[in-house]
Amino acid sequence: MAKDTPLLDVADLQVELITGQGVVRAVDGVTFTVRRGETVTLIGESGSGKSTTAMGVLRLLPEGLAVLSGSVRIAGRDVVADPDAARAVRGRTVSLIPQDPMTALSPVHTIGRQLGDALRLRHPELTRTEARDKGVELLGRVRISEPETRWKAYPHQFSGGMLQRILIATALAAEPELLVADEPTSALDATVQASVLDLLMELQEHTGIGMLMITHDLGVARLVSDRIHVMKDGRFVESGSAEEIVERPAEPYTRELLAAVPRLGTWDEDESSYGDGDGRIEPLVQGATS
Amino acid sequence: MPTYLARRIGQSLLTVFLTLTTVFLLVRLAPGDPASAYAAPSATSADLARIREQFGLDEPLFVQYGYFVRDLFTGDLGTSYSFHSPALDVVLDRMPYTITLAVSAIAVTTLVAVPLGVWMARRADTRRELGANVLTIAGQSMPDFWTGVMLLTVFAVLVPVLPASGFTSWSGLVLPTVTVAVLQLALISRLVRREMSTALASSYVTVARSRGVSESALTWRYALANSSVPLVTALGTRFAALLNGVVVVEVVFGWPGVGSLVVRALETRDYPLIQATVLVTATLAILVQLLVDLAYPLLDPRVRLGKAA
Repeated sequence: MAKDTPLLDVADLQVELITGQGVVRAVDGVTFTVRRGETVTLIGESGSGKSTTAMGVLRLLPEGLAVLSGSVRIAGRDVVADPDAARAVRGRTVSLIPQDPMTALSPVHTIGRQLGDALRLRHPELTRTEARDKGVELLGRVRISEPETRWKAYPHQFSGGMLQRILIATALAAEPELLVADEPTSALDATVQASVLDLLMELQEHTGIGMLMITHDLGVARLVSDRIHVMKDGRFVESGSAEEIVERPAEPYTRELLAAVPRLGTWDEDESSYGDGDGRIEPLVQGATS
Repeated sequence: MPTYLARRIGQSLLTVFLTLTTVFLLVRLAPGDPASAYAAPSATSADLARIREQFGLDEPLFVQYGYFVRDLFTGDLGTSYSFHSPALDVVLDRMPYTITLAVSAIAVTTLVAVPLGVWMARRADTRRELGANVLTIAGQSMPDFWTGVMLLTVFAVLVPVLPASGFTSWSGLVLPTVTVAVLQLALISRLVRREMSTALASSYVTVARSRGVSESALTWRYALANSSVPLVTALGTRFAALLNGVVVVEVVFGWPGVGSLVVRALETRDYPLIQATVLVTATLAILVQLLVDLAYPLLDPRVRLGKAA
């Protein structure tokens, strides 16, 4: 792969979902790239097609219920044209950090088993003990305390924030060049969100991986992104650097998204409810500017 | 854990005792007279009265029940009227045959229905899945005597490769096993199909797929392990039912199990034999249920005995 080939090169991607109400074009021709060490964010409201884009890129949408067209090149291999290429890059070139950490690990297997399996998929030559040592080290890197004893614990014995760290460790086990983070913090508490984002940015700094971030949260987007694509009804309505989008939004839709960000202040019962779905980003923004 | 076990065993003993009491009363309240079933057709009413006295049936019901409970706690379930030997021994002689057939039928059911259900889940809503569904339901819908007789006709008469009846060699086990298993296949395979469809669509399978886990590992290791609790429950329930004997199949194949014994005991109003059969089969069924319950925390770490007890 040439040095200037993007890690992820999406061209005119369309995704049609077959639903009970007929065929829905969830993604309607999006084009973007993610390069090494870069974070590109797709932002939009629920149903804008951002998660469908992410799952489509990884070809993780249910076979037979989703029809993809256009091209998605991951490290030069087109996974739309060739499903085998998707299988080949998953867990090697690209990893996923899922939306809801509470349901993303098999509840009947220990986290050590699942993390160990991920390591041994990437490095089949590792013995169980070696995989364990490596896994414990990875858990330490994502700041899980007492990783040796936690290795044998089950997912239900962890909090959401800890599970998301474990999932980040599992994604890192693949030693990927590209991370797809599908709303990695939206199921977490405000304080935990900040620490998970910190961790992701720190890892990116150390490893130089590219990241495709999906979020509905402009605070998160501003904090982590190099470039932002604002998505609505399956299309990009506005694209630009994080600064451009946040400081000088051109589209009314983007301005609405910005206006939806609640301000940190005194509780006002009539106005809005600080702390609902979107009301947890202010501390992060402060963290970014301090 | 020991407290939990002690409590469960206590509950089980109580259940067996109440079941026995119910059966004791029901057989005596039901029409029919053991004495006339036992005596020669030429017996006079004086003969019948003598037989009743000999069996202790001339006593009032509560006195009979008192003797029954007293003897029960010494492990004596009375003497079978028709076999003239201890009723419990008669039943225990038959149990190995019933257990053999039940184990073999459940094993075959599991070996066929689980892969079939998995296959159906992976080909959900296709013509082939529909075909598999129709076939298994047809199997379940056929009366067992008919399935049995058809299998006998084909494999013991037209193409005589298997023995028609009795248990003289292991090949005698094949046809009864198949007959019983055919009845269970639809239930178990459809349960596996439903559980696997849910598991394969779940988030943890998608996430595991995203990290490169192979489709076969996703199916057999992730999805099936997460379907094991309902599967083991269903198999345990079916197994417990089979331990009570499969009357029709035993009669068709001349299988010397408990099922055919029950029929004979009921026909002759052989009260002690009926009670001994119920004691043994109820105890086994409850034991299987207990083992299934004890397996849950092994299959799913979220089931904690500490909280349940």
